[in-house]
Amino acid sequence: MPPVLQASRLKIGYKNGGKTPKVVADQLNLQLRAGEFVCLVGPNGVGKSTLLRTLTGLQPKLAGEIQLSGRKLDAYHSRDLANQVSVVLTSPISVGALRVDELAAMGRFPFTGLFDRMSEHDWEVVHETLRVVGVDKLSQRYVHTLSDGERQKVMIARALAQEPRLLVLDEPTAYLDLPGRVVVMNLLHDLASGHDKAVLTSTHDLELALRHADRIWLMDDEGLISQGAPEDLVLNGSFAQTFNRAGVLFDPLSGTFDTQNSGSKSVFLEGQGSELIWTKRALHRAGFVVNEEWIPGSPRVCVRPQEGATTWQLEHAGQTSAFASIYDLLQSLPK
Amino acid sequence: MNSTLKSPTSQQARRLWLFGLFLLLILALFLLSLALGSVSIPLKDIWGVLIGREGVRESWVYIVQNSRLPRVLTAALAGIALSASGLQMQTMFRNPLADPFILGINSGASLGVAIAILGSGFVGGLFLPALSLRGEFSLVLAASVGAGLVLALILLVGRWVQTPTTLLILGLMFGHATSAVVSLLVYFSAPERIQAYSIWSFGSFSGVNWTQLNVMALVILAGVGLMALLPKGLNALLLGEDYARTMGLNVGLLRFIVLLSASVLSGAVTAFCGPIGFIGVAVPHIARNLFKTSNHKILIPAIILIGAAVSMAASLIAQLPGSQLVLPINVVTSLFGAPFVVWVVLKRKRGATSFSV
Repeated sequence: MPPVLQASRLKIGYKNGGKTPKVVADQLNLQLRAGEFVCLVGPNGVGKSTLLRTLTGLQPKLAGEIQLSGRKLDAYHSRDLANQVSVVLTSPISVGALRVDELAAMGRFPFTGLFDRMSEHDWEVVHETLRVVGVDKLSQRYVHTLSDGERQKVMIARALAQEPRLLVLDEPTAYLDLPGRVVVMNLLHDLASGHDKAVLTSTHDLELALRHADRIWLMDDEGLISQGAPEDLVLNGSFAQTFNRAGVLFDPLSGTFDTQNSGSKSVFLEGQGSELIWTKRALHRAGFVVNEEWIPGSPRVCVRPQEGATTWQLEHAGQTSAFASIYDLLQSLPK
Repeated sequence: MNSTLKSPTSQQARRLWLFGLFLLLILALFLLSLALGSVSIPLKDIWGVLIGREGVRESWVYIVQNSRLPRVLTAALAGIALSASGLQMQTMFRNPLADPFILGINSGASLGVAIAILGSGFVGGLFLPALSLRGEFSLVLAASVGAGLVLALILLVGRWVQTPTTLLILGLMFGHATSAVVSLLVYFSAPERIQAYSIWSFGSFSGVNWTQLNVMALVILAGVGLMALLPKGLNALLLGEDYARTMGLNVGLLRFIVLLSASVLSGAVTAFCGPIGFIGVAVPHIARNLFKTSNHKILIPAIILIGAAVSMAASLIAQLPGSQLVLPINVVTSLFGAPFVVWVVLKRKRGATSFSV
């Protein structure tokens, strides 16, 4: 079976009137299989949206070839294309007074006739997608009364109601709070693995992408895309390389991003468990370099986990004091 | 939160009830419009005239047949046309303030009429002796030519413009430029011609004769018929052209039909009745609020009924029943309509932002 999406030597960008087109990226070779959840990540402005718009046919490519299910993108009639690909775009929608089920039912447009008469089967698909996405209880609510997270799920349900092989989303988590982002990323992963869709999403949530994606397309500001399992990209240094711009450091140990530490004060820390990890983070933020060995003259912090109440003990300049919270500890450390 | 809704069935019942109510209202306004005016005619005689019974006073037959009946039909048709045009513009531009004239159709018509009335002063009676105006075929012709030229321009430009917003700005700019030319003509014209022009610009449903009414009805029927093909496309446009495209719709064709329908509708009204404001922008909002939906499958029939009713009511009020005076229709629509829409908007519960189209 051919991959759902295949792009070869693809050149994307903008046609600029009669002048030379503005090329965003060139020589892209990309592939997306059914059941695969791919996150497109990269710094702002590298052309992630341009790539997604080109792959979904919203914007003409400049050169190269895109194939959907083994057939050229350009050869699709718009209605057939809608049976292959559906999208969730980044701009927030304002549809006025529409019910959730009415909005999701728009996903059936490629299947209904001129007057959009919905068959029983069409409604079944709509209700099923609302259930899969987890908003079936909201189906009679007006869209404008939903929270951002709920509304985004409804937009995903609408896209699913199109019964596409490929689902493309442009920053679906942009307006959501953290729990909302986790839920959406989980959902997308499930849609790919559990419903055999190919799912492609761009996102700025790198840590979530690392956790949920089957594969990552990492786009840098020269328009090059490194592909691989998230772990591969972490280990071969692609992640660090792409994002190590001024002030941001990718830590391959924790898979998190950190601000570059310019502190030079050193501190010795001992302890264990999660208290140790979080204390280390706090000290890091406060501008300390945490040492494995004690250097004479520098402060010494000892985390003592106890039943019910952890204490932080600080030895510095011949004095020993104990604190009940990290916050109190930080207040007393030498500036 | 009061966002949980009644079940769809009770919502449907409410909508059917509203449709019925507006049908009754239209019937009542129709009969009242025939009965009331400078002279009152009893309803049973109105009925007599309508079915062609013998023995009704001659003058009443004349008044109903040649004045009031064409006027009320013109009002209903114009109301439908303006509302249909306004709805399509608001949806297409995703802008609650869009109205039928946003693309400059009425500016084109106004320029046509201004040239006919004011310009003839320079050219030497090209169109006139039409200072008596109102319904003069020369004016209808001038307005149609003006509106038609703008229409052609819009359709032409609409093919290669990237986004509807660009089109909107072009329409606005065109309107400004046209107004400037009209102002120039006014500035250099004789007072009686200026007065004639400004009377036209007040708008009126009177003076459309039966021949003209037939033409107008045909054109409006065609425009509304086009719109009736579009509930699906207009619903898709609520999400924007990009979404519409990914749902398999031919957005270029959709845009063309919307522009054609909306421009033909507003152009027809302006040509026969002058530039009539307010109805086109207000009725879609009234419909959304009363029917609590942005779904065009419901909105399209709704604005047809509400548009007809609102326009007939305005026309009735403009006649100032019992007096010899007649108010300009634009005065009535704005003076009575604005407070009504303010009320509709303010009484809405917070959050129910159907004003966001």
